Amino acid sequence: MKIKIAISIAALLGSLGSLAQVDNYTPVTKDMLHDPDPGEWLNWRGSDSSWGYSALDQITTDNVGQLQLVWSWALDETGAIQAAPLIHDGIMFIPVPRGVIQAMDAATGDLIWEYRPGITAAIDGSTDRALRVDDLGSAAMSQTAFAGVGRGVQKNIAIFGNMVYAATENASIVAVDASTGLLVWETPVADPAMGYHYTAGPIIANGVLVTGITGCQRYKEDVCFITGHDPLTGEELWRTDTVARPDAPGGDTWGDLPLQFRAGSDAWMAGSYDPDTNLVYWGTAQAKPWARAVRGTDGAALYTNSTLALNPDTGEMVWYYQHLPGETHDMDETFESILIDIDGRKSLFKMGKLAILWQLDRTTGEIINATDVGYQTIVRLDPVTHEVTYRDGLIPRIGEEVDMCPSTSGFKSWRSMAYHPQTSALYIPITLNCELATFGPTERVLGGGGAGPVRRINYHHPASDGNLGELLVLNVPGGDVKWRYRFRAPFNTAALTTAGGLVFIGDWDRTAHAFDAETGEKLWQARLTTSLQGFPISYMIDGKQYIAMPVGTGGASWSSQLPRELAPELRRPRNGNSIHVFALPE
Amino acid sequence: MNHQGNLLALFSVSRISFAVLAAAFTLLNIYGPSYAQPAPGLWDGLYTEEQASRGQTVYRASCTSCHSEDLRGNSNAPSLIGMSFMFLWETRPLGTLFEKIQAEMPTENPGSLSEQSYLDVLSYIMQVNSFPAGIAELVADMDKLNQVVITPKPAQ
Repeated sequence: MKIKIAISIAALLGSLGSLAQVDNYTPVTKDMLHDPDPGEWLNWRGSDSSWGYSALDQITTDNVGQLQLVWSWALDETGAIQAAPLIHDGIMFIPVPRGVIQAMDAATGDLIWEYRPGITAAIDGSTDRALRVDDLGSAAMSQTAFAGVGRGVQKNIAIFGNMVYAATENASIVAVDASTGLLVWETPVADPAMGYHYTAGPIIANGVLVTGITGCQRYKEDVCFITGHDPLTGEELWRTDTVARPDAPGGDTWGDLPLQFRAGSDAWMAGSYDPDTNLVYWGTAQAKPWARAVRGTDGAALYTNSTLALNPDTGEMVWYYQHLPGETHDMDETFESILIDIDGRKSLFKMGKLAILWQLDRTTGEIINATDVGYQTIVRLDPVTHEVTYRDGLIPRIGEEVDMCPSTSGFKSWRSMAYHPQTSALYIPITLNCELATFGPTERVLGGGGAGPVRRINYHHPASDGNLGELLVLNVPGGDVKWRYRFRAPFNTAALTTAGGLVFIGDWDRTAHAFDAETGEKLWQARLTTSLQGFPISYMIDGKQYIAMPVGTGGASWSSQLPRELAPELRRPRNGNSIHVFALPE
Repeated sequence: MNHQGNLLALFSVSRISFAVLAAAFTLLNIYGPSYAQPAPGLWDGLYTEEQASRGQTVYRASCTSCHSEDLRGNSNAPSLIGMSFMFLWETRPLGTLFEKIQAEMPTENPGSLSEQSYLDVLSYIMQVNSFPAGIAELVADMDKLNQVVITPKPAQ
């Protein structure tokens, strides 16, 4: 494994010439990450706790109707945009498809630098790359080599010290100099030819770069994992399996399946971190193939569909909670963990595709509460133990149709919910849908496996009145509905809450929305170029608050199949990856 | 039955029509009555090797990133090969598969390839699923494509 290390910043600066760079860059510290300046956005969800909340209050319920476009910027049309930009020192760092990172003046929209994999120079001037196209095997696309290999989604990046960190579609982690965009190091983490790749980036936890891999659906002599890396050197510090191996604790929960047939448990959304417990909280996906009958075990399949609490220094799994043991309908629980203290009790809230709101004790992993929103038709939730069991006839058999809500697209997906501390509520992007699903077989051979085929007939949820999109607002901790707003098109971004009493969200049908967080009254909207998609953020520069909304196409079911089939009258441009920034008039 | 006589009874004064009918007459004389002959199926060779080769090039450029170079797909992109492919497509018309690919793929830019490219990709998918090549290229004749049902290899 080859690691590049920046040794001489002075030598670099001498060689930069006319390259644009950030002047007077301030290194990001642990303290800044734990207690961020409200004007900055240093973490993919704004803080370690992943609230998706901005403490800025210049834009309020009274004036949000005056928001105007300040600048916009087209992003590469090389894949799906699901960007979570960061803000530091007045710079917006944008994760762009296929590993590209762009640094913009966040007030004006001027490009400062861009990092392009395989094209941008390394900081030490070398041209020798840690990852060669020949190493990529069947994952390589020969036409585009490094600039366009593999899957390309890049949700989030991290910033720490002098560097911006990203995890690539080629299953490597890169460090880019935050001032210049030059490559500092790249560490291959897994073999992309086996399907491994990243769609979510790292977070910083106690000074360690923690990253979850995905693409674990193929049968192979390996299992999915989360790693810790040294941010300075790229050295791998630890690796924790998200699948119990046959000889490890919990190994019997996969029945007698050998290692190579224990697939899934992808860690495809970034986690959260609590410096007080010094634990990282990370979700895992379902087992693969999706249906028990196809994967060949009805065991719990640890540690799939679980919340894991890891020590970021060692990778030790301090606790886990498996939300859906032996899950069998593609009902992911891998999504964001929102850390909220309730009456002094350190809690973690999360929601998966079934739209069950889970509350865990984030010190012990104990389940505190679980609230079924009431849309799903697949499981029963025990009101006392909060354990789930499958309803009669709902465990799929190969080739036999199952009528289920939600569809395999889920009610909840990567569009993260946001917490608002003033209203004590969670703002949750939901898509209402159901499916007649028929699960099919896969080849049980090395290299085979996968999620498994599903013949799917999607239909509208009976309670939806023909709407796909819902902004669902649940009181915390009770989980009762505060308000809901339904919309024909799916909501297609994460939610953003602000101290101005607002919640921002974007939909598939090109509209950015702002609501009164307390009442649900719609206060502002703007029609943009194509679907909004990604993670909206807010920041402040020179006394002005901004709202940034990512826009783009691509992406899976919520962004393609569901609107195409269930709202066919809605049309959008087939391209338009971009970011749009709004503020109040002068 | 005298098919020749039936055709002549439909004779038109148009020279073009005459030519067409004459050609049809010849074909019928060679191949016999059309209603007795099943439409060519996937196992009769509906594309050419060269077309599948072009399709592979298109596939690698526009499809690999989701469906993988070996066509086994990923979590959000179904497998296009083997038993998983047949589970999804067996008994369904080839025309339906063609229309789906043309209307929905590539997912981030649906409909962005030429009709010829979609036909070539479909040919490549047929090839990797062991449907044999033939002497004529697959063309976008929807009536014909909708008559072709995706079926396993018939027993010899």
